[in-house]
Amino acid sequence: MHYYRAKNLKDILNLFESEGDRVHLIAGGTDVLVEARQKPLPQDAFLLDISQTADLRHINEQGQTIHIGASVTHQELAESALIRQSAPLLAQACRQIGSLQIRNRGTLGGNICNASPCADTVPPLLALNANVHIAGLQGKRTVPVAEFFDSPYHPLLNNGEVVSAVSFAKLEPTTRTAFYKLGRRKALAISRINMAVVFKMTEEGFLEDVRLAPGSVFPAWHRVSEAETFLENKKAQLSVFEEAGKLVADKMIAISGRRWSTPYKEPVVAALVKRTLAIAAGVYKGGKL
Amino acid sequence: MPNKKKPSSLSRRQFIKGVSTGVAGTIATTKLARALPIEKLEKAAPPEGHLPLELKVNGKPYQLYVEPQTTLVEVLRNELQLTGTKVSCNHGECGACTVLLDGKAVYSCHILALDAQGKSVTTIEGLLNGEELHPIQKAFIKKDGYQCGFCTPGQIMSTQALLLKNPNPTKEEILDGLSGNLCRCGAYPKIIESVEEAAKVK
Repeated sequence: MHYYRAKNLKDILNLFESEGDRVHLIAGGTDVLVEARQKPLPQDAFLLDISQTADLRHINEQGQTIHIGASVTHQELAESALIRQSAPLLAQACRQIGSLQIRNRGTLGGNICNASPCADTVPPLLALNANVHIAGLQGKRTVPVAEFFDSPYHPLLNNGEVVSAVSFAKLEPTTRTAFYKLGRRKALAISRINMAVVFKMTEEGFLEDVRLAPGSVFPAWHRVSEAETFLENKKAQLSVFEEAGKLVADKMIAISGRRWSTPYKEPVVAALVKRTLAIAAGVYKGGKL
Repeated sequence: MPNKKKPSSLSRRQFIKGVSTGVAGTIATTKLARALPIEKLEKAAPPEGHLPLELKVNGKPYQLYVEPQTTLVEVLRNELQLTGTKVSCNHGECGACTVLLDGKAVYSCHILALDAQGKSVTTIEGLLNGEELHPIQKAFIKKDGYQCGFCTPGQIMSTQALLLKNPNPTKEEILDGLSGNLCRCGAYPKIIESVEEAAKVK
């Protein structure tokens, strides 16, 4: 096995060019190392460490757009003043991933490229209408995060391509957001279900530009347009949020059918939608909802 | 009589020492193919599949040859004999192997040794000042912050990471800062007290 550490994007592309699909990218290694124990990497693999690649380590703002390099760690995002201010739900999601030791290693690019259905950063990125920037031997391309996934654990990434960054439009300061994670315990938990919402609220308390993205609910990631359309221009109140919750649960059953987990998931998904919307609207006071 | 001790009666300490030397010896032999200190190689070319690694552990520089898949904790324990760092789950879940990498807490079972190239690693041994225990270690003893003790080095390293960043943590912040470390004995209340004590003393 060979090991290289890429100093810049050019190093990555050069190795893609010379070694083709023998290149295995590793950033924080929090998924790669666990998987490599179950299924060892081939002996002729070229392990390419991109955790310290200068071109992939930025968090910055260009005009109204926030850019995050793929090798930025979850902890860096959780602590970033810029992210906390302009996309608080992403900072909250990163803050709840694994444990500090995992967050110090795991990266945003790794989280989306591993494409686990319970990845905590994906629902916020969907709700932020984020774009994924990909660099490859054939040039650069940008795709909306909603179009980046084929199926669980399969991002639409070709051989010889690497995710270089993620970007999204800065939220206006008045935009309301929330991220809710349901795990089996408070720390070191894998999300059973998670939920991201973004909307604007008029002074009279009406909802606009609603974006609702659940995680671990559908086989593939997407927002729930039925619920979003329903919520548009509705008053921010619990009865409305409850209705939206039912729409999301119905959609889940329409897509996945009734399964062994449905008696649990149906009411829980509905309740989490209601709760997450209520948190974002500032009407959740804690406790059962 | 210069020596009253019977040669056959071993103290517990000698016994443990003897056993652990045997174990370490076996590990060192079997691991020879995975990672070799450079001085042992006498300027020979690196063995096939090995790469040179320079890292700084507890302020001391080391040079070795390792296979790319070798984890940091394998180098620390098997090559550098720094066995204070424990391996429990070997899966990045339990926190027993926590060390500081450039001041940040990481799971050393969950990171390639080559990833630590050029970085500074602090293990539990690095907290000692000569033979004197670190204030955090003293606090854990004073407050009885362990039961079997196996997770303790990891708990202490997470405490160190927490206090470096936040010298006066609230209870919530302590719970949060140590949430990546599991204790199967369930000594959590005492562990939290130990961290509070350590923060007071520091």
